[in-house]
Amino acid sequence: MKVLAIAMNNLRRMLRERSNIFFVFIFPIAIILLIGAQFGGGVEPAVGIHLGDDGRIAVEIAEEIESDDRLDVIRYEFEEDLTTAVERGHIQGGVFLPAGLDQVAASGEQVEIEYVARPDGFGAQLQQVVAAAVSRVMTPVTAAQFASAETGTDFFIALDVSASGGVPAPGLTVETSALGEAVFPDTLGQFDLGAAQQLVLFVFLTALAGSAALILTRQLGISHRMLSTPTSIRTIVVGEGSGRWATGMVQGVYIMAATFLLFRVNWGDPIGAFLILVTFAAVGAGAGVLMGSIFKNDQQAAGVAVVLSIGLAALGGSMIPAELFSPTMQNVAHLTPHAWALDGFAELVRRGGTTADILPELGVLSAYALVLMVLSAWRLRVAITRP
Amino acid sequence: MSAATRIAAKDLRLRLRDRSAIIIGIVAPLSLAFILSTVFGSAFDSNALDLQYGMVDLDQTETSGAFLAALNSIEEEGILTLTEFSAATSAEAAIEEGEISVYYLIEPGLEEAVLTPKDFTIAVIGDIDAPTSAQIGTSIAEQFGQGVSTGQLSVGTAAVLTSPPPAPEQIGIWVGEAAESGQSFIMIDVSAETRQLDQTTYFAASMAVFFLFFTVQFGVLGLLEEERDGTLPRLLAAPIGRTSVVSGKAILAFALGMISMTVLVVATSLPPMQATWGAPIGVFLLVVAGVLSAVAIMGLVASVAKTPEGAGNLGSIIAVTLGLLGGVFFPLGQGDDFLSKLTLLSPHAWFMRGMGDLAGGAEWTAALPATGVLLAFALVFGSIALIFLRRRLWQ
Repeated sequence: MKVLAIAMNNLRRMLRERSNIFFVFIFPIAIILLIGAQFGGGVEPAVGIHLGDDGRIAVEIAEEIESDDRLDVIRYEFEEDLTTAVERGHIQGGVFLPAGLDQVAASGEQVEIEYVARPDGFGAQLQQVVAAAVSRVMTPVTAAQFASAETGTDFFIALDVSASGGVPAPGLTVETSALGEAVFPDTLGQFDLGAAQQLVLFVFLTALAGSAALILTRQLGISHRMLSTPTSIRTIVVGEGSGRWATGMVQGVYIMAATFLLFRVNWGDPIGAFLILVTFAAVGAGAGVLMGSIFKNDQQAAGVAVVLSIGLAALGGSMIPAELFSPTMQNVAHLTPHAWALDGFAELVRRGGTTADILPELGVLSAYALVLMVLSAWRLRVAITRP
Repeated sequence: MSAATRIAAKDLRLRLRDRSAIIIGIVAPLSLAFILSTVFGSAFDSNALDLQYGMVDLDQTETSGAFLAALNSIEEEGILTLTEFSAATSAEAAIEEGEISVYYLIEPGLEEAVLTPKDFTIAVIGDIDAPTSAQIGTSIAEQFGQGVSTGQLSVGTAAVLTSPPPAPEQIGIWVGEAAESGQSFIMIDVSAETRQLDQTTYFAASMAVFFLFFTVQFGVLGLLEEERDGTLPRLLAAPIGRTSVVSGKAILAFALGMISMTVLVVATSLPPMQATWGAPIGVFLLVVAGVLSAVAIMGLVASVAKTPEGAGNLGSIIAVTLGLLGGVFFPLGQGDDFLSKLTLLSPHAWFMRGMGDLAGGAEWTAALPATGVLLAFALVFGSIALIFLRRRLWQ
């Protein structure tokens, strides 16, 4: 009963702090929204287009490039803006369609299309994609120039014929197929990946940040006063740990529910997802109490908490999925509990797994939690019984 | 030594002795910049794309040879690397091993189809997790396909426009001429300057400016702490102007910010990170303007908060929001959409933009526009903060 009282008191203290409402409840959802909007559904290479005029050929080329749904195409009104966007890396490449393309083509001359890319990045390679779109439009133009020169027909009438598709020419088609099993299947929702990544980042961050409250409890002598009541050290240690765990659970359940309701995030098998949260929040609680009993200064602890929780989250695949890491870095990633929790979510969400399929991940997380809790109980016992 | 600098010097000694400022100002940004650049560097090799293609030519004719020649000339430009395989199975194995990401499969009958003419399909098989590589590979094959059909489309169009229909001899002449004539277009490469930071420098700069806003808090919150601890009335009773008290704290915040940024720029330039900060004068200007804007914004926060804790919390919320908006963790917005316009409200975004403008070996003057905007932030928010703080001290 006293354990519950200490735990609930910790939870209440966290919720009373108005800035916590922002960092625990509003901020994670905002980040999930932004990441989903920015990266959800994969990142498509972006190409900018500037049209010198709205002549037939220029418009057709622009529309042909835009019809490629694997490209993110942005039209720019001013040439300088397009160049700057390429230089700043906002887009990978830019196409300049100069004014008067129609007239140049009608006169039988070669039209010049400028493509701008930075020396680094893959803009130069992306030029092939743009060139293919340009050549789809320009092949009939080449044919019309030839026919117009040979027969004396007006260029635009010849172009109508060559572009009509009615003239037989070898249909060399290109068929693309994909090999292997996708790491991120098409069924993955726009917010699914980011939601799981941010859940583990923030649950761990909140747990570590909670160490500052524990240090304050010790500094103000509350722990000592609790000891002077008929309360065992074990009760205090378990109570403090449960408080951190309850905080993590409240935040985790909230993030799961909110992202499901707002963004229809798929968390997979609910029991499995809940169990990952239970074990991961326990890991966070253990780490938080351990930090709270080692540090003496709450400002220092807060600084270290930020470094540890962002650093471990980045290493564990909470910022970039660990699947994209090099093999060495993937091994490093699995030293963090984050990577195991994310593997568990990946199994549930992307491969439709059930609780039975994530037993290894749950086992590793439980082991982490156990070790950290034993360590933190020992350190906290030392810290609060020291005179 | 004026009263303001004496107050600042005393506080600076205190802050350096308490290790919190060192953790937030130096240890945190340095270790996170290192971790983030390692993690992101491992996932994306400085946003370059390594195109490793394979080719399985089962047609073995002049036409398939022409396609191979086209690929080889693109390879010579350094755009891709091509490996030839004798069978589709060995190319597939190479994809599974990660040696190549895409291969072309040309079944027998390509040349026959081109000469007849009839339809033919060039197959592009790509690793499912390398869609952009496959897309580029497909585009190269499409261009080859367009090139092959150009001649026949030209002759065909001329034939349709001739009445009565041309004699077979005429068509023979046209075929020869069409083969000689070139394409109606040419693509000209324009190389842009780089105004984008490499991975390591990006995170070195972004973490430095992100934590800068927390570091200067140790200075600006000092006033509220003196108020809470009851030392402020004593300070005000001393024969020093109220402005000196405020500027003492501002000088301290500025000094902490400058120390943190200088140490970070120097430390990240050294191994193992070896960030490439641009022209030193430009970097210096941006750092000074960035620190001033941070002091001004955090000073404004302190001037409206009631307690140091409240100011700390509100300051954290503002610092984190501005940092996120400014792209310290990941760049926000694409092209010139609403989100990328919104980022311009963040001094972090201007600091990063200024550093980007210095990348690629630009002159220090390239940093001037961003420096100007940061100074404007500092002037506007700093003036408001000063008015609020003075009014507060008078009450």
